Amino acid sequence: MSTHPLSENTIVAAQGLGKQVTTAAGELTILQAVELDIARGESVAIVGASGSGKSTLLGLLAGLDLPTQGRIRLAGEWLDELDEDGRARLRGEQVGFVFQSFQLLPSLTALENVMLPLELAGVDKAAAPAATLLERVGLGARLDHYPKQLSGGEQQRVAIARAFAIEPAVLFADEPTGNLDAATGGRIIELLFSLNAEQGTTLVLVTHDDHLAERCDRAIRLDAGRIVA
Amino acid sequence: MMLRDLRLAWRLLLRDWRAGELRILLLALIIAVTATTTIGMFTDRLQRAMVEQSAELLGGDLLLQSPREIEAAWQARAAELGLAEALVLEFPSAVLHDDEMQLSGVKAVDERYPLRGQLRVSRSPYGEEERVDQIPAPGEAWVEARLLTLLGMALGETIELGESHLEVTRVLTFEPSAGGGFFAMAPRVMVNQAILDEAQLIQPGSRIAYQYLFAGEDAALQSFQQWLRPQLEPSHRLLDIREGQPTVGAALERAEQYLGLASLVAVLLAGVAIAMGARRYAERHFDMVAVLRCLGSGQQRILALFLPQLLWLGLLGSLVGIALAWGAQSALFYLLREMLPATLPAPGWAPLLMGLATGLIVLAGFALPPVLRLRSVPALRVLRRELAPMPLRGWLVYGVAVITLALLMWRYTGSAILTAAVMGGAAVALLLLGSGAALLLRLSRLLHRRVGVAWSYGFNNLWRRPLLSISQILAFGLTLMAMTLIALVRGDLLDTWQAQLPPDTHNHFVVNILPHQQQDFAAYLSERDIDSSPIYPLVRGRLAKVAGEPLGDRIQPGDEGAGAVYREMNLTWTDTLPSTNRITAGQWWPEGGPEDPMVVSMEQGLAERLGVSLGDVLTFSFGPQQLEVRVSSLRSVQWDSFQPNFFMIFPEQALAGQPATYMTSFHLGQPQRGELGPMVRQFPSITVVDLERMMDQVRSILDQVTLAVEFVLLFVLLAGFAVLYAALQSSLDERLHEGALLRTLGASRRQLRSGHLAEYGLLGALAGLLAALGSELVALTLYAQVFDLSYRFNWQVWLLLPAMGALLIGLAGFYGTRRVVAYSPLRVLRGL
Repeated sequence: MSTHPLSENTIVAAQGLGKQVTTAAGELTILQAVELDIARGESVAIVGASGSGKSTLLGLLAGLDLPTQGRIRLAGEWLDELDEDGRARLRGEQVGFVFQSFQLLPSLTALENVMLPLELAGVDKAAAPAATLLERVGLGARLDHYPKQLSGGEQQRVAIARAFAIEPAVLFADEPTGNLDAATGGRIIELLFSLNAEQGTTLVLVTHDDHLAERCDRAIRLDAGRIVA
Repeated sequence: MMLRDLRLAWRLLLRDWRAGELRILLLALIIAVTATTTIGMFTDRLQRAMVEQSAELLGGDLLLQSPREIEAAWQARAAELGLAEALVLEFPSAVLHDDEMQLSGVKAVDERYPLRGQLRVSRSPYGEEERVDQIPAPGEAWVEARLLTLLGMALGETIELGESHLEVTRVLTFEPSAGGGFFAMAPRVMVNQAILDEAQLIQPGSRIAYQYLFAGEDAALQSFQQWLRPQLEPSHRLLDIREGQPTVGAALERAEQYLGLASLVAVLLAGVAIAMGARRYAERHFDMVAVLRCLGSGQQRILALFLPQLLWLGLLGSLVGIALAWGAQSALFYLLREMLPATLPAPGWAPLLMGLATGLIVLAGFALPPVLRLRSVPALRVLRRELAPMPLRGWLVYGVAVITLALLMWRYTGSAILTAAVMGGAAVALLLLGSGAALLLRLSRLLHRRVGVAWSYGFNNLWRRPLLSISQILAFGLTLMAMTLIALVRGDLLDTWQAQLPPDTHNHFVVNILPHQQQDFAAYLSERDIDSSPIYPLVRGRLAKVAGEPLGDRIQPGDEGAGAVYREMNLTWTDTLPSTNRITAGQWWPEGGPEDPMVVSMEQGLAERLGVSLGDVLTFSFGPQQLEVRVSSLRSVQWDSFQPNFFMIFPEQALAGQPATYMTSFHLGQPQRGELGPMVRQFPSITVVDLERMMDQVRSILDQVTLAVEFVLLFVLLAGFAVLYAALQSSLDERLHEGALLRTLGASRRQLRSGHLAEYGLLGALAGLLAALGSELVALTLYAQVFDLSYRFNWQVWLLLPAMGALLIGLAGFYGTRRVVAYSPLRVLRGL
């Protein structure tokens, strides 16, 4: 195992990360020997072709899945030292998510979707901060709309408001503009970066949108499960 | 944290409710609770009403008959248990008016009589009947109309009874605790017990029956009976309402079993509906749980959020169900007010609480497993949507559900056999049907090449998801099976009851036909086309010894049934086996009598109780004379046939020389009632006993039971439809999505709709076939073990059920999936 020194400022680190899965065709390597060090407040794009292992890496860094080899440190804690519930707690306190498919809960209104992480964290009056956030993302007039009554861009803005609700240390975004047209996608990126700047959040995003990658402080390129640049 | 999660769970539930996610689950739950609670309340009230009516016939809840006063300790025990008590004395006595004299059955009652029911009297012979709460005043007597005729007197005149003179003030038309029915066939006279001393009727050696009536709470009655029975002597008879009225008793018992079975089936069906609703609920919450886990909720937290939702749902569904049930049973009693007794006991709390418990238990048993599964939804599902939680390895969870259900069933039926039969039947059926369904599904693939595109799309839907299809066939099959079973049993029960009291049932008994009148009386009946049983001789005799042992040694204390033979018995002779009897062992003698006339044919129930077997020698005494006979056959006797029945039948030669009178029974229709007067005038010695009133009462009880049975069937059907609905809904999401895709790809509405019709039609037909198999198997067990009915093969169900299944489920599926083609594909693809 690598003994890469961790700087005080590191918020996400991966050491000797590898992931294999067993399929009908035999062992399949998705990631191997990934070393990574992301500083607090940094914005990092993970880029690469389809099937290069981008989303798998994101899932591992966020603690949604466990690696086959190597270790991950997230917000000061080694993920392999936590059980599933411990990782869930860590996500609840430190991590925000934005997904390609939005992942809004269809039975909740826009406001309730944004309130949910606050309610889970035990905030008593979650409606006011949630409404403020929705106004911030330009949906002040659509608080009571259900996801299916919103356009794709609007849904993603609700998702972003939800992700920032707990003021996370790290925001993981999986192809946040993948389901949107160029113009809408552009506005979503602006929103993401301006909130990132306001809250000083670390941004880790998976994309194959070059414009988006260029906006980040740096890009990590994956090819067949290895970092190539 | 706890309290906060409870509040959050409540908010999530409200949000789900608003979004329409809970409808199916809640609907299934409400139907379950409404069905079981309505049945529970209805049967509870009806049973109590029927029991009250039966108690009215008996005059109390329990009757203890004794040849002398009972021990004070027994009365003290009854008082201690809070039972009310009344004493009735019955004895034969001569009643005089002018020079006329008539042997009568006297009933001396106290102020507390009757404990149940009311006396009915009229103010003129055959006049209008009224119900009264008093008993005759000490100077008065109330008598039956025929005594007035026999004595040639009118109301207001005086009779002499012993040393007392009593004014006859009312005609007695109905008296509770007319008791054994045949106890006193002589005309009835009712007097106040206060006159007995003055009348000096009771002398040492008088033949008096002391009838102690008791009434009170069920539990107290039970414990009194349990306490009392071991202390009874052979000369005591203890009758509760069941033993007092065998016909009603048997009908009540079967009806209770049936209603129990039906509630159980309703619970089972509703449980299946809930399980299906809960599965859909859980699956629709996989994404939510994945997001919640991303947002930091651990497994415990997921349960802490979802289990209270289930609890609230259970409470809400149960309360709504109970409220609906209350309304349903009130409405029902209102609709049926003409057929039911005027005053009904109010609904009790027990069925309501039972409804609440049923709702929660059924929900826990059937909805808990799928909801528990939510806990293990992986967080990674947010990135890879195909990740679903592992199917439950929860045999433990299901085991608990099954045990809970069994206990619930047991509580509902009060019968371990019935519960085991249904649970076992269901388990075997599940196994058999599961493999049967798989096999049928495979066979039905052969159809594939013979049908058009649309149909083969529909059939393909079934084969592509074999597990889902098998579970749906099972759900539909079990539902149809349960519904069939309930309908089958209902038909056979009703037939049995109708056969028990056909319209031409004999409603009059005649005794005291003198030997020389026998021919004339038979001619009299046949000339007037009156349907009657043969005329039987009656010889009074006592069974003294069995196989040389004194009878007393053979009788178990407290066995009143056997105790009946301790007194003088009615013996008869005939060469023709009565039509309501069947030989169960040995042989009936040929016409003209057996070669050895010293034989007897004995009723098998009595033989069992006294330990008598074929070939044993019985000794009868007729006064000083003794007669030894060998038991040559045993008979089963249909005691509720309303015809003369005998424990002992002899060949004529065996009883030759014993003094005999004759008896018969006959049926008089309403228009022929006028025949009675001339008959009594022509044969003045005879005593006619009119059973019509008692039979009316029995008939009205049977009618009510029938009604309850019909009503319950309705609810089982409702629960069955709930299952169908839930099962259809559970696969609707997928179908909506798929239909939208197919339409995007160019499938026409017609093709899709024919496809759905084919799919559900085939599903229904297969389910019907399995239901036919299952219901035959369970019926076979139930009939023999529980209902005491004879089973016959129902070939109709094998044709009807598959056809009905195809039609019913085909149409329901066709209707249920109409949204697949009604919505625009875009709306469906976006909205799910």
